[in-house]
This record gives sequence, structure tokens and C-alpha cells, in this order.
Amino acid sequence: MSYSTFNRKKFDSLQEPMFFGENVNVARYDQQKHPIFEKLIEKQLSFFWRPEEVDLSNDRKDFLKLEEHEQHIFLSNLKYQTLLDSVQGRSPNVALLPIVSLPELETWIETWSFSETIHSRSYTHIIRNIVNDPTKVFDDIVVNDEIAKRAISVSKYYDDLIELVNLYNTLGLGVHHVPERGDVVVTMKTLKKALYLTIASVNVLEAIRFYVSFACSFAFAERTLMEGNAKIIKLIARDEALHLNGTQHMLNLMMSGRDDPEMAEIAQECQQDVINIFVEAAQQERDWAQYLFKDGSMIGLNAQILGQYVEYITNVRMQAIGLEPQFATKNNPIPWINAWLVSDNVQVAPQEAEISSYLVGQIDNDLDGADFDDFDL
Amino acid sequence: MTTLISNTEHQDRDVHRVLLGKKQILVTEDEPLLPQLERAGIQVEYQCREGYCSSCMIKLLWGKVSYPIEPLAWVNSGYMLTCCAIVKSDIEIAML
Repeated sequence: MSYSTFNRKKFDSLQEPMFFGENVNVARYDQQKHPIFEKLIEKQLSFFWRPEEVDLSNDRKDFLKLEEHEQHIFLSNLKYQTLLDSVQGRSPNVALLPIVSLPELETWIETWSFSETIHSRSYTHIIRNIVNDPTKVFDDIVVNDEIAKRAISVSKYYDDLIELVNLYNTLGLGVHHVPERGDVVVTMKTLKKALYLTIASVNVLEAIRFYVSFACSFAFAERTLMEGNAKIIKLIARDEALHLNGTQHMLNLMMSGRDDPEMAEIAQECQQDVINIFVEAAQQERDWAQYLFKDGSMIGLNAQILGQYVEYITNVRMQAIGLEPQFATKNNPIPWINAWLVSDNVQVAPQEAEISSYLVGQIDNDLDGADFDDFDL
Repeated sequence: MTTLISNTEHQDRDVHRVLLGKKQILVTEDEPLLPQLERAGIQVEYQCREGYCSSCMIKLLWGKVSYPIEPLAWVNSGYMLTCCAIVKSDIEIAML
């Protein structure tokens, strides 16, 4: 029931489910129930980068030259990205760490969330470089109605889960009366259902909402504008591709019943709820596109094209977790985005020109004297 | 492609037919399917091109593919990742 930072019980963590089993104790990675999370940690660590490595001096000049409605598109998109990463930089930790039961998954959650804080620091780096008063931009994220709507939809499921888990950890299972909230039913089933819907909504956040925002960032770079920004977004996109892999694995493992048989039943029961989460998010993203382009479009992108991309990417992401696609759009309306999303040519420093995962000081120790036979001095 | 077809010995060893709707292209086992589809003028989605983002996932209707390195992405049966799958027999594919 109550969370312990070091569970004193002796148990085999290989037999535990991903969530709601024993609290974790020894942080060991020599054995894993689900090796995928260890691999994701390794990959994420190899991706490490810092926003300050990207020079944004030309972006400031570009930004000043943009038309007013284009500045609105750029800044609104950046505010939305800032909101998404503000949520993602903390919520996986707050919501999932108290209930995780596998050490490799616990560390993946921490690694994942940490990389989101790098993204948040990037937005500060970008905003500081292109506007005189960053406070105006940041303050608007809290007061702007359009952004506030997005904030409610991206944090709702996290908040529901956190509330239930807090009650569970302090009062245990049962019906609890919460002042100003009424009776709250805390059963293993309501907890697992809240968890499943949260992971689905996080998958939507990272696999759909972020990609819609990437499309806007790259649309400027297609016109050779705001290219420093695009370089940073490319690095963020590389990380997000890994994160969405993480939530796809969690959802698929839950659905398969391989991890926790009860979770498979819950996944079955919640299937329509998950479909609704995807469809509602797609509608919200289309509404957001209308707001972005309310004062005018830009070359290469408008509300209609972005709306088609929303439908297209939603279909792709739904199929990745075994759901039927819900929209008619079959083809990517902005195929040029792939050339920007591809991680191969991410270059932040000259020595990284040819590799995307730059590992510092790689040394091959598996050598013997014979390897140098061909060398003559 | 012409030289590959005329070289029957090579064809027997590792050239396979890939059916996509009414289109048919010939591919080898020398590299993954994605670059070969691109050279044939077929647009396939991609992002990471190393098996973790699942953007290049398509339907594998029948036939055999293999992954020299196990991809990080979750691949449901009936689907394949074009960026890292080597085609091992004649196959039929469909876009998502």
C-alpha cells in the first residue's frame, strides 16, 4: 500500500508486472523482465545533446523578417511545444514512479522524463534568442485560452491517475470520501484502468500532438527560415520517436496479457475509450490548426493540409497499437517532413557529421597484437 | 535491375518479387526493403531508419522477411518494418 523508497521484501522482480506489483528495491539491470526498456535507456543515453550546441543567431534575424501572422504561427507552436514538454518533463515521474514494479522500467521512466527536461530547456534557449522579453511568451502559456484547452486535455488522465494512486498509497483500496470531491472508488481495477488510459493519452501526446507541432517547425525550415530552430526540433523528434516506442511497448504488452493477465481484460474493456482518446485528440489538433492559421497561411502549410496530416498520423499511430484506423486520409499530405524527421543527418557539432548517436571516447578494447601486423612505421 | 534478372544464378539465390497492389518490383537480400522501394519510386514513410520509430511499418500480407538485428519497435504479426527487414522470399505488401 504505502510507497517505500526501498522495499525490504525479498522477491523475484522477473515475476512482477510492469505496474502495481511490489515496489521496486534493488536498482539492478543485469536481468530484465522486459529487455526493451533497458535497450531504450541505452539508446536514449546515446542520444544525449544540449540545446546550447545549436547556434540560433540567424533565427533572430529570420524571426524579425516574418510577417505578423507567421510570427503568430511560430510563437504559438513554440508555446504549445513548451506546454507539452512542461507536462512530459514531470508527469511520467510523478504518475508512474510510485506504481512501477520493474527496475528497468523505473529507470526508463526517469531517463525518458529527463530527456523531456532537455527539450524544455531548448524552448527557453530558442525563445531567449528570438524575442526581447521571454516573459511575455511564457506568461501567455498560462493565460491564453487556446493553450489552456490543450493543457486540460494533455494533463487530465495523468491527474486522474495521480489522484487515485495518492488515495491508494495513503488509504488503500476502498471507497474514500474526499472533501469537495465526494466518494472515490479505489479498486485495483479502477487503478489499472486509469493507468491504461493515461499511457494511451501519453502515446497520443508524443506520437500525434508532437508530430503536428514538428510539421509547423519544419514548414519554416522548408523555406530556409528558422533553421536553427529546426535543427533543435530534429533532435527533439529523434527523442520523441524513442519515447513513443516506449508507450507503444507498454500498451502492446498490457494488451497481450503477457505482462499482467488482468491488464489484458482491462485493455479489452477500454478499447472504445482509447479509440475515443485518439479521435478526440485528432479533433483538438485540427481545431488548434484553425487557431494557428487564423490570420493567414504560410507557403507549404495551411489549416487544411495540417488537418490532413493529423488524420494521417493518427491512423498510423492507432495501427501501431492494433487499433483500426479511423480516418479516410491514407497518404501523408506533407511527405517532405520525412527528410526533416530523419535522424541520420542530425548534426550539432562538426565531429558528429556522420553519426546520429555520438558516443564520447569510444574505444575498442577487443584487440590483440596481431591486429597491428599490417602497420609499418 | 536488368542485369539481376539476366543473371539466373544470382536470381535463384537472393532476388525476390515484392508485390504491392498491381505493382511488382524485384529486390535483393543485400539491403533492407526501404531503400529498394525508394529506388523503385515507391513512397514509404520513414523517420529513424534504424528500427525504433515504427514510421516505416507496412502490412506484410504473405512471405518471409528477417531482421539481421532485432528492431526496438514493436512489430505485430502481419506487419513489417521496411527500414531494417531483409526480404527472404517472394512477398506481398500493402501500405497502412
